[in-house]
Amino acid sequence: MKKGILYILLTVFTFIVLFPFLWMLSTSFKPNPEALSLRFFPKHPTLENFKRIIRDYSFGRYFINSLIVATSAAFFATLFASLASYVFAKKEFLGKRVLFSLFLSSMMVPGLMFMIPQFAIVYRFGWMNTYRAMVVPHLANVFGLFLLTQYMKTLPDSLIEAARIDGASEFQIFLKIILPLSAPVIATVFLLTFQFHWNNFLWQLIVTTSEKMYTVPVGLAMFRSAHEELYSLKMAASTLSIVPIAIIFLFTQRYFIEGLTRGAIKG
Amino acid sequence: MKDTLTSYLFLLPFLLIFLVFLAFPVFYAFYLSMHEVRDLTDVFGGMEWVGFKNYLKLMRDARFWWSFLITLYYAALSIPLGILVSFTLAVILNQPLKFRNAYRSAIFLPYILDVFVVGIVWTFLYSYPYGVITRLLMKIGIKIPGLLSTPGTALPSVVVAMVLKNCGFGMVLFLASLQNIPRSLYEACEVDGGGAWEKVRFVTIPLLKPLFLFMVIIGIIGAFSAFAEFYAMTGGGPAVIVGNKTFLSTEVTGLYLYRNFEQLKLGYAASISYTLLFINLAFSYLASLSMRRRFV
Repeated sequence: MKKGILYILLTVFTFIVLFPFLWMLSTSFKPNPEALSLRFFPKHPTLENFKRIIRDYSFGRYFINSLIVATSAAFFATLFASLASYVFAKKEFLGKRVLFSLFLSSMMVPGLMFMIPQFAIVYRFGWMNTYRAMVVPHLANVFGLFLLTQYMKTLPDSLIEAARIDGASEFQIFLKIILPLSAPVIATVFLLTFQFHWNNFLWQLIVTTSEKMYTVPVGLAMFRSAHEELYSLKMAASTLSIVPIAIIFLFTQRYFIEGLTRGAIKG
Repeated sequence: MKDTLTSYLFLLPFLLIFLVFLAFPVFYAFYLSMHEVRDLTDVFGGMEWVGFKNYLKLMRDARFWWSFLITLYYAALSIPLGILVSFTLAVILNQPLKFRNAYRSAIFLPYILDVFVVGIVWTFLYSYPYGVITRLLMKIGIKIPGLLSTPGTALPSVVVAMVLKNCGFGMVLFLASLQNIPRSLYEACEVDGGGAWEKVRFVTIPLLKPLFLFMVIIGIIGAFSAFAEFYAMTGGGPAVIVGNKTFLSTEVTGLYLYRNFEQLKLGYAASISYTLLFINLAFSYLASLSMRRRFV
């Protein structure tokens, strides 16, 4: 009886949380004249909105840009963080503690503070309107470094010793032993950086002026100021940004949830 | 020594990016805040040294202080509401319920989505007079003007959208801590005749105090970096008249900073960002103080 109430409460609340996205989905399948109707299921469901934003408004291109930016950033950020984490976890070297606390202290600085100087640097390098501009400034992922270092510390030293006796070089040890054993955390860091860059709207907005380099959210920002009344198209473009990351989440949520909570509590 | 050399080889890519794009900017932002753009055709070349003028101007800038107040108001609404919602959800989902993992994932999902895009979707739902939320409220007899275009309701409407988007994260944090509370404490409470409410009131809440505090602090820091939700949903508006001055009723500090940046007042924007840094450090310091006091 009491449990029944809990189920009802939870179900209603879950519905409210997801409602905007369900409404977005249904609107993106409605012809524009129907976009403002209160009926949830489209009377005349259509794929026309998606065809139009991809064909007439180049969201296909923006989607590919988003994909390139998020994937390459996730790849390099994870690689750089794993390389650094290995030596922080398993080596003694000059300046180790100083560097690590220096890295961690940068997490206290609000992101908005980095924005203006980073923009200045990118501008001076002549990187405006390039993938480099969107990706490179964020490749030192301190949060990822922290997660990976914590994890790599727990790997047994004996494995590394054994490999060294067998004549493996430091890089081989990293590649053949450390990386495979850290796979779950590497997946976490990769997914979190991918998500960060998929959603990195403000930065992508300020380093792109050329329409060809827009990512999905930047394209959406421009589209909505030009076509306020094309609701169905706006919702189709939003769907294009939300659905891929939502699907990735549904299949890999364990990594997302663990990574985000661990980082928050210990970080 | 050999170790130091190889170690730095491994560190090199990370360190290089860190120095250029994270360490250097902290100093460069300060340098910028001491300068102002004079030549719009040569933004960074033609900067003029102005010393502390930007900071002095900031202290007397009513629009800045207004944005500061709006940010605090945003924090004062969204943090308690967010904590209440996520804590309640966590306590409920900590029970042995069927499908609890499905509920948990569904509620967590919006947290990982782009704030800006989620803001666009909510703007559509809130829009006046045809947005689905506006019309549903009207149907049940609540006469409302445009939720996002009326000064009194604009900010609370953004709060509702953001609390619903982010409560899954708080919920997961609370759930993780709830699972660490020893069963024996609840049993002791039961022995003393406590029911479900007493267990929450006298066991759960006192034990989770540090986490509540932590969430308040990250909430405040989050409010001071809030930007995309307001950029998407209100653009800072609607205007409101206070005394004989016109202000923007949802222009938080992050948005005001962006507006200055947009107009290429880079030095001024940098001085705002430095002020934000000190606000962040102050709150983090307060947090660490009160955390320490608990353990003494």
